[in-house]
Amino acid sequence: MHDNLAISATGLVKKFSGRRVVDGVDIAVPTGMIYGVLGPNGAGKTTTLRMLLGIIEPDEGHRTLLGTERPRSVSDRVGYLPEERGLYPAMKAREAVAFMGALRGLPLRTGRKRAVDLLEAAGLGHAADDKIRKLSKGMAQLVQLLGSIVHQPELLVLDEPFSGLDPVNQERLEALILAERDRGATVVLSTHVMAHAERLCDRLAIIAKGRRRFEGTVAEARGLLPMQATYTPRNDDAHIADYLPADAQHRGDGWRFTVPQEGSEQVLSRLIGAGYGISGLSIERPSLHDAFVKIVGRAALEDQA
Amino acid sequence: MSRLGTLVRQTMTIARRDFVATVFTPTFLIFLFAPVVMGSFGAIGGLGANAATSGGGEKSRIVALVSGDQARLMMQVDARLRRVYRDADEAPPILTTKEPATDAAAQARAQIDDRGVDVAAVAYGPLDHPQILYTPRATRAGDYAGDYLAELAEQTLRAERAGVAPLSSATKIKVDRTTPRLGRGKESGFFAVFAIFFLTLLLAGQVVSGVAEEKGNKVIEILAAAVPLESVFFGKLLGTFGVALLFLVFWGTLISQIGTLMPAGMAAGLAALTPAMGMPMFTLLFFGYFTMAYMLLGAVFLGVGAQASSVREIQLLSLPITLIQVSMFGLGAIAISHPSGWLATFARVFPLSSPYFMAGRAAQSPDLWPHVVALAWQAVWVAIFVAVGVHAFRRGVLQSGSGKFRWKGLFGRA
Repeated sequence: MHDNLAISATGLVKKFSGRRVVDGVDIAVPTGMIYGVLGPNGAGKTTTLRMLLGIIEPDEGHRTLLGTERPRSVSDRVGYLPEERGLYPAMKAREAVAFMGALRGLPLRTGRKRAVDLLEAAGLGHAADDKIRKLSKGMAQLVQLLGSIVHQPELLVLDEPFSGLDPVNQERLEALILAERDRGATVVLSTHVMAHAERLCDRLAIIAKGRRRFEGTVAEARGLLPMQATYTPRNDDAHIADYLPADAQHRGDGWRFTVPQEGSEQVLSRLIGAGYGISGLSIERPSLHDAFVKIVGRAALEDQA
Repeated sequence: MSRLGTLVRQTMTIARRDFVATVFTPTFLIFLFAPVVMGSFGAIGGLGANAATSGGGEKSRIVALVSGDQARLMMQVDARLRRVYRDADEAPPILTTKEPATDAAAQARAQIDDRGVDVAAVAYGPLDHPQILYTPRATRAGDYAGDYLAELAEQTLRAERAGVAPLSSATKIKVDRTTPRLGRGKESGFFAVFAIFFLTLLLAGQVVSGVAEEKGNKVIEILAAAVPLESVFFGKLLGTFGVALLFLVFWGTLISQIGTLMPAGMAAGLAALTPAMGMPMFTLLFFGYFTMAYMLLGAVFLGVGAQASSVREIQLLSLPITLIQVSMFGLGAIAISHPSGWLATFARVFPLSSPYFMAGRAAQSPDLWPHVVALAWQAVWVAIFVAVGVHAFRRGVLQSGSGKFRWKGLFGRA
């Protein structure tokens, strides 16, 4: 076990009605990072997070949370935003934040004071004394997130934190998550929206069909796919395809093809030599979305096989 | 902070939330003043019933077909005999004397069938051998109207011979017993059993929907992640118990300060209670057993209610819950009247009936140590019921656990 791991899990298995929903997942989350747990719907992300937090017990495997094998014993050092949002509708926003802090050992008086500060910082100061039932879904979601950080946890686990939020609140939430990391907390977030993961995550794991299919940085994930070139010739004719790589496809005025492993220079030299010239050229690194689709698709094929 | 300290702190956080969420709502006022509504309906019903019976009583009569001097003498004797009846409901119907006709038997029968007046009994013929017709009646006095007429005939004849002037003049001196009256212990015991039954019936049922709120608004996931489920369950129990205590303190204070609020019979009954171990200790034990009865039933109801997935299912549980409470009351009440039988042993040991029975015993027996053992025994069962409820919740609702029962979760390290 590494001292600098906030979470370490090996071979986690969970079966529901005999079906292996999580099938031997390994995860190692270094401290002080934003770590993404990515996967399609039903991949087993939530079940994995619940096992890591000790809400449910794994059927097989071991996990360590903040250095202990008894996750419940460190619950005061952990913040958690579950996938299914839950607040008492009759509670005031300020009280809800303080109550969630109190559950994690923060004195109510301190919690109330911090709650006001946090609500102000999140742009919800005007709603501090509003009951939860009066808040919009996005506002209530932010209140719940504030409740999960009010006790300043060392580890913050967010399950699909962006679902149901409008773009403005999504940006607020991103800022809050980054602020938590800057404070020194380790943040684990699950999502199936790649744009958020791409912007936020230092490392990530991709889970599909109950198994971990990838672990590494965003760049490493994107590096799993070759770069793509979009080329627009100065002069075009029916024979240009002879000078392009085999996978080249005509798109609008130009062509799109995978950059060969040795680079694009040889292809471009051939095209220039044949007189097609270069009117436009862009070389793009594949997105996390592309990598995710490929990894998940490959997982589906592996399972079918 | 130690594990126990953390557990207590988490439990109290849940309890406080539940208490505040319940008490600081307009609905709580309805709950608090429910006895007023119940009492009002009871009073209205009682007044109606009283008016109906008293209306009937005014019209009810007994008739003696006697003539002249015997009639006057009988009225005097009747007035003297009626002095022993303190309760108007117990007294025989009003006496009317009538001159006998030639066919006294037919006249008596006609009196019974009279539509204008409700005649319970009619006497005719010579007083040393009267014939008495009577009709079965609902009240005790009516049932004995015939006997009363027979006694009137006897006493009238005696007065004819000895005169109506009293032969004896008694002096009454009021004294208090220095020892409990035989049977008072049983009465006190039954009162204790009934009082605990009444209070738990009134207050413990609300625990059944304790976790339903959290399941409904998804807060349960937050709670389950932050604190042990044992704390959630104990917190819910304590929170609702706090509400019950507030209810008791409110009504207890009100009734004790305004004694006139209490029905006369109840006030006299309470004043006459003479528990074997003395009132202060009995009060303390009564509170202890009420707490245990509440916690035991509450733990069972909470555990069962936590499995319910809808309000309808919770509503369906109200009947079996009431049946459990009534059966425990019945068991306790029967056992307390035969405290040395096997049923008493069962009621003493069976956790759900133990508080009822032992509260009754506190009124009957001065020994203290059985209560210390009983309270400890009951507390252990509260913990067991909570642990079983938590286990079932973890397995059934959170779909967690390896199937192993986790005593450690309750008593040891998580």
